[in-house]
Amino acid sequence: MSWIREGELNLLEKISANVLKAGPMPKHVAFIMDGNRRFARKKNMERQEGHMQGFDKLAETLRWCKHLNIQEVTVYAFSIENFKRTQDEVDGLMELARQKFERLLEERDNLEKHGVCIRVLGDLNMLPLDLQELIAKAVITTRSHNKCFLNVCFAYTSRYEITNAVREMAWGVEQGLIKASDVSEALLSECLYSNNSPNPDLLIRTSGEVRLSDFLLWQTSHSCLVFQSVLWPEYSFWNLCEAILQYQLNHKSIQKARDLYREHQALQQLEADRSCVAEHLQHHGNGKPVDAQRRQEALLHYTACREERVQEFVQLLKHKRDSFFTDLCSKAVLT
Amino acid sequence: MALLYGLLWRLLLVLVHVNRALVTWLRVRFRGWKGRLWERAMAALLLPLALAGFPDQQKQSKQNPESKANPGTGNRSASRRSRWLCDGRSLEKLPVHIGLLVAEEEPSYTDIANLVVWCMAVGISYVSVYDNQGVFRKNNSRLLEEIVRQQQDLLGVEGSKCSMEILSNGTDKHQHPVVSCRPTVKVLSPEDGKQSIVQAAQQLCRSVENKERSSKDISVSMLDILLREPKNIPDPELVVKFGPVESTLGFLPWHIRLTEFISLPSHKKLSYEDLLGALQRYGTCQQRLGQ
Repeated sequence: MSWIREGELNLLEKISANVLKAGPMPKHVAFIMDGNRRFARKKNMERQEGHMQGFDKLAETLRWCKHLNIQEVTVYAFSIENFKRTQDEVDGLMELARQKFERLLEERDNLEKHGVCIRVLGDLNMLPLDLQELIAKAVITTRSHNKCFLNVCFAYTSRYEITNAVREMAWGVEQGLIKASDVSEALLSECLYSNNSPNPDLLIRTSGEVRLSDFLLWQTSHSCLVFQSVLWPEYSFWNLCEAILQYQLNHKSIQKARDLYREHQALQQLEADRSCVAEHLQHHGNGKPVDAQRRQEALLHYTACREERVQEFVQLLKHKRDSFFTDLCSKAVLT
Repeated sequence: MALLYGLLWRLLLVLVHVNRALVTWLRVRFRGWKGRLWERAMAALLLPLALAGFPDQQKQSKQNPESKANPGTGNRSASRRSRWLCDGRSLEKLPVHIGLLVAEEEPSYTDIANLVVWCMAVGISYVSVYDNQGVFRKNNSRLLEEIVRQQQDLLGVEGSKCSMEILSNGTDKHQHPVVSCRPTVKVLSPEDGKQSIVQAAQQLCRSVENKERSSKDISVSMLDILLREPKNIPDPELVVKFGPVESTLGFLPWHIRLTEFISLPSHKKLSYEDLLGALQRYGTCQQRLGQ
């Protein structure tokens, strides 16, 4: 089955979509597509068939999202914890991924037409090499597209992602690019796999489970969470509408909490800068009292320097990540 | 056309609100009716027990004349205590650590204190209280006082003897002398969330700066150990969220990896049965841990 589904919504769906679109719409929706195996068991199918149908449902959901003006979708395709499943099932899932990424490369013209950019978030090193190369090719082919974005979390857990971000920052410190005191919430967000995306506005988990299972823990701290009891392969347009309605009901209060948090975060950064400056002045001021104006100037100077340092580091990190994909890609061409 | 759709959207929202209000109203009515029934049944059941227990209590109070509790309430609270403990035991599973997330304006200290006491009474060892505006953190001592008072009210003087430990790693760390044994109550605010992860990251980066370790050594478990400090409290298995907002609002992002979220409409005037219902629902949740 293809990644892109053509086709319009039917009349009733179109009217409902327009009604929903009169309210605030989420720009980025994340899905935990749970329930493929339970669906297969319910319908007496092979487990692998359940996973296949799950993928088809993803393609269909992307079509609905497009009609609902949702530009970005993030899905949890494979967790690092899933490597604990039986070898048989893991192999099956890898094979499915291989097929689908091959298919994606065949459909590159269509993807270009719709402007779909595919990103894969996770530690690719954990995957078989041929799959890594396929993924790198897909990512590089679509990376300049900018109409809609699909982030596939593969070999991913949120704790691993956060730890990886800390590791990158520690690497920056090792290289002398940044100081340990430059580490902040904003910088950590920039070092996550998801650094190119805004935080999801809405997170949907199907199959009735009510936990996050190590998915986007950092990014969803102020997202609307909707838990639905339907199994993923049975997900319908109406389920999606229900989730969006839920988001719209929560929109105001979540926005308020977000603003409050942002204020708080800015204050915290100012406080951190202040204490760094104070420390600096104490070390170099020979104990002389410093007047308020000089203190203020020192603070502004320090902040500008820090921002420059951090910017440079972030650029370098992006470059490092890009070259990881290009290297994989060229390796694939050579072999 | 856009205007029409806008109107329709508003109508839809109003309908949903009406629907919600109706459901809550029905629930309250139903609960009131069921609650009364429950009370009567309990009274009937406990009557013989109370009669049998009364002389005992009198003897005891003669023995310790300084005991201020009047025998009637002492007895009632004792039976209540054993009932709650019994409820806790009858559940399929009980969380070791529960989070109470208040996503409502103007939190009520008494109701939260009640909840904390009930949680401890059914046998939960760690209770974390969180709100995204940091109201509880700011008024830490007020909440603490309220909890102690409710504990005396609900469990009687003896019950409150097994007192709790109040932890808060915020600004007023040293103001509260830590009081004896378990269970533990922790008051959390957004600062304990992402900011604590940033602090752990800074700590690790500083050790890299001082050449104590290499960036490659940093692992998930290393970060996890830092974030569990200082008390090595386990991650919350259950978060009960109060209020209409469907979001974690910054509640400990690192620690809620496998946490089950259960929503209740409000913490105000919440009854013990509502909490027990949430715990029963938690008892039916199954975790596969990736498998």
